[in-house]
Amino acid sequence: MFGRNRTNGAVSEAAILKALEVVRDPDLHRDIVSLGFVKDVRVAGGNASFTIELTTPACPVRDKMKEEARQIVAALPGVQNVEITMTSQVRSTPSETKAQLLPGVKNVVPVASGKGGVGKSTVSANLALALSQMGARVGLMDADVYGPSIPLIMGVHQQPQAAADNRIRPVEQYGVKVMSMGFFVREDQAVIWRGPMLHKMVDQFLGGVEWGELDYLIVDLPPGTGDVQLSLCQKIPLTGVAVVSTPQDVALRVALKAILMFEKLNCPILGVIENMSHFVCSTCGTREEIFGSGGARLEAERRGLPFLGEIPLATAIRTSADGGRPIVLSDPESPLAGVFQRVAENLAAQISIRNMQGELEPVVKINF
Amino acid sequence: MSASKPIPVEISRANQHDVRIRWNDGHESVYLARDLRLRCGCATCVSEMTGKEMLDPATVPADVHPLSISPVGRYAIQIHWSDGHATGIYTFEHLRALSQPYAPAQNVGTRSF
Repeated sequence: MFGRNRTNGAVSEAAILKALEVVRDPDLHRDIVSLGFVKDVRVAGGNASFTIELTTPACPVRDKMKEEARQIVAALPGVQNVEITMTSQVRSTPSETKAQLLPGVKNVVPVASGKGGVGKSTVSANLALALSQMGARVGLMDADVYGPSIPLIMGVHQQPQAAADNRIRPVEQYGVKVMSMGFFVREDQAVIWRGPMLHKMVDQFLGGVEWGELDYLIVDLPPGTGDVQLSLCQKIPLTGVAVVSTPQDVALRVALKAILMFEKLNCPILGVIENMSHFVCSTCGTREEIFGSGGARLEAERRGLPFLGEIPLATAIRTSADGGRPIVLSDPESPLAGVFQRVAENLAAQISIRNMQGELEPVVKINF
Repeated sequence: MSASKPIPVEISRANQHDVRIRWNDGHESVYLARDLRLRCGCATCVSEMTGKEMLDPATVPADVHPLSISPVGRYAIQIHWSDGHATGIYTFEHLRALSQPYAPAQNVGTRSF
């Protein structure tokens, strides 16, 4: 039962922990005490205080959870005041190779698409910014060497600086650390590279950049299934990939090829994002499903993959990106920014879940 | 992600130079060093186009053995061999297939695995 009292009438720390066992994390489906989220439980007379440390920077039910915990502890005999601090500590994907190559980077999350033109780079940039706005430390690596659009979308006009021991410091823009091939190639130049060069680039962008401490490193991949994807999957165990598709059948079929490739390489799929989902006329509000609708969600369901959200086709998303200030930054209170924020929350939740599962089945141990 | 694919839990030594793999479905397989070297699937050992075996076993020393094993992403391992060869990537899928239904044995007999 709850509330085993000490002789002086005050509640015990053990009683508080026991009481909190009814509070469950909605994504991890376990109670917060067994998950080790409840910390610094202190009792002073009738005042109880503790911290709840979640694993995502902005859990959507954070406030609800705090209120639930407050009510439960307040109901214990001997408790007059309850003070709760909500914090977050993003969990890391454990790996020795990652620790050697990218010490300090907790999660590497590529964003992929089957074909080009589905808006992957705009989605990557907005997701990176949304995660950063939630309080996470975020890096954005533009690995699309043939058509690097991240510098434009992120409004970066400066060159990266050299750092210690032959490495490069990423450019900090809007609170996100950015690296792109676009920094090194003039606008009027084409990058015409073959396999080994791409492999070398991935090498450089991972080990040769001073990323520092990051919760999430978002990697904007080139479209399709090629050397860059392969190199990334070979170099380090990735946390998981987010696949972007439009609702249209053709895009989906090709997105499927990307999904199959990552499955073959044992790279977890964090979820599917449907971009350009539908169009809402800014004048009259009519909704048109220009590329169809719901196709990506259905496909995700069919394959048992999480669906991270639908992003509408909206002029404002495009103009803000073209202007170098993505919408979650230029209009953070808008419904469109809200869509990206929710997709980012879902992505962060899937990363948490994935890392939790990974703790149960760790990457293979080599003892040779 | 498909959970039905068996993946290794631990890769360690068997005997002095052979490789043992413990799989997450309880299976355990042992690969004799030279057999594993001869099974290298890299493009110089096996033709990319025809799948024909190009490696001549006579060119591989009898006592060839792994010097080190490193992970490749989450889906394979890379072996550095004592004869200098290191370009083979052994996928877990391939390694599992090699161990079933027949694992190479020192004494060829009627035992099945």
